[in-house]
Amino acid sequence: MVMKAVKGVLLTCDAAVKQILLVMNEAQSFIIEDLDDFHLLIKQDEEDRIRRQLETELEKNTYSLD
Amino acid sequence: MWRSAFAEPSMPKDPETAGQQDAPHTLIPFLQSQSQTALTRLYTRPSSCLAIFRLLGPIERQIVMSLLWLEGPIASQTLNGWVTKEGRKPYGTALDTLSKIQILPNPGTRMLLNPNFKASFRMALTGGGDLNSFGVPYVSSKEKDAERDGAGDKKFGPNSEHLDSYALERWETILHYMVSSGTDSTPQRPSAGVLYLLQRSGLMQPLPSPSGYSTASSRKTSQLQISSLGFQFLLHTPHEQLWELLLQYLKMVEERQMDLVEVLNFLFMLSTMDLGREYSPDNLTQTQLVMLEDLRDYGLIWQRKSSSKRFSPTRLATTLTSSTPLLPSSGGGNTGPQGFIILETNYRLYAYTDNPLQIAVLNLFVHLKSRYPNLVVGSITRDSVRKALNNGIRADQIISYLVTHAHPQMRRNNPLLPVTVQDQIRLWELEKNRLKSADGYLYTNFAAQADYQVVLDYAKQIGVVLWENSVKRCFFASAEGHSNIRGFIERRSKDEQM
Repeated sequence: MVMKAVKGVLLTCDAAVKQILLVMNEAQSFIIEDLDDFHLLIKQDEEDRIRRQLETELEKNTYSLD
Repeated sequence: MWRSAFAEPSMPKDPETAGQQDAPHTLIPFLQSQSQTALTRLYTRPSSCLAIFRLLGPIERQIVMSLLWLEGPIASQTLNGWVTKEGRKPYGTALDTLSKIQILPNPGTRMLLNPNFKASFRMALTGGGDLNSFGVPYVSSKEKDAERDGAGDKKFGPNSEHLDSYALERWETILHYMVSSGTDSTPQRPSAGVLYLLQRSGLMQPLPSPSGYSTASSRKTSQLQISSLGFQFLLHTPHEQLWELLLQYLKMVEERQMDLVEVLNFLFMLSTMDLGREYSPDNLTQTQLVMLEDLRDYGLIWQRKSSSKRFSPTRLATTLTSSTPLLPSSGGGNTGPQGFIILETNYRLYAYTDNPLQIAVLNLFVHLKSRYPNLVVGSITRDSVRKALNNGIRADQIISYLVTHAHPQMRRNNPLLPVTVQDQIRLWELEKNRLKSADGYLYTNFAAQADYQVVLDYAKQIGVVLWENSVKRCFFASAEGHSNIRGFIERRSKDEQM
């Protein structure tokens, strides 16, 4: 049987987050494979960095009164 | 023999609490995991039987009471006749629970209570026997004299207000230590035994030491920090909190080489004792004397001096197996009519309290703005809720805390909390979980569709597939399944070659 198994982390997200991730990927590549609109396969050791970076990116879009 | 347990109603009073009683008490699953011999030994004590009976659900209690005074077994069909069609399922679960804790073995064939349980529980209800399982009251020489002089009803023990304030102070010390562990303030530290228990239960964890790894000595002295489990713990009702800690205590019993049955017996004995009465420790076993000290630290027992020849249970202990509130004016968060929180649709929150513990708990998820002698004003903001979520608290827990502690004024509203605020708290939680991740392997580049299908079917069978795409002929399976899938593929490849 011929096949391949790739180790990684499966990210499940909404379409908007996925676009942000694609842009982030251009700066520093971490995506192994773009699976579909809501799923990405990324390198295992990059997950923490991605989460932090995404968090700051999303925070830019929120405003508070105080 | 002293029987005091009937002073407290064990049936839930209003439908609201009845709903909460649907889930079995936390101790029941623990009892279910115990061996048959341990349970049988436990059931030789009348007080234990009575206490366990009080922990059971209404249907289980009904079944036990129906069977208690029967001498011989009766056929299961006879009892089934009582059950309506809608009642089948709860009845089945009730029988299951009873059989798992060995009170009603083999309910499928014949109904007969465990003989030990039957004998002891009958004794608990009717009195008699000299097992001293409900504790031995301490009688001082002064009291003996008084009784002789005909003034026997005068009380010499500590009064219940004193016991309540002692229990409250002990209990709040523990909770306050937990809640302020992450901040700069340094509240009073509970005893080493309590700290160890908090750490073992995962409610608190040692702060990572600067050197990166902790040595045995530094672990003992190092500062503890509250964990996400601990934050969740703080929002529970006092009754749940107490049992959570006691359950952890029970789990540690074996490694401390204590006898579990004796420990349980002692807890159940305490739960059936009279508040405000003094008891003599003379009849206690070695294990139970050790427990006496531990429970004193938790605030379940009061002693004048540690060497004292008598002890009194506090309200924390005597309400262990009842549904009445733990402490009358408990600051730890009392359920019932004494709610203190008013929440408005504009996210503003008013808390009528001056209790530092309650304020500290609110501070976990509320942005507090001003404080008056009996009132704290704050608002629920995105940042304050996010801080709580980052600490591991869930939106549901925040909402249920607000519901249980809502001010009587709020009770007129329907729904109780403003829907906008509830929804927003949930939305903030969803927002935090926009990205889900799972470790594993992507299986791809299958040469033939048939191969892909076979491997995928196998992976589905063991339930590890998280994502699949038949057009691209690839699927993603969680890391736990990898060795199984690899083994499966290797076996198949070998078969193909042969």
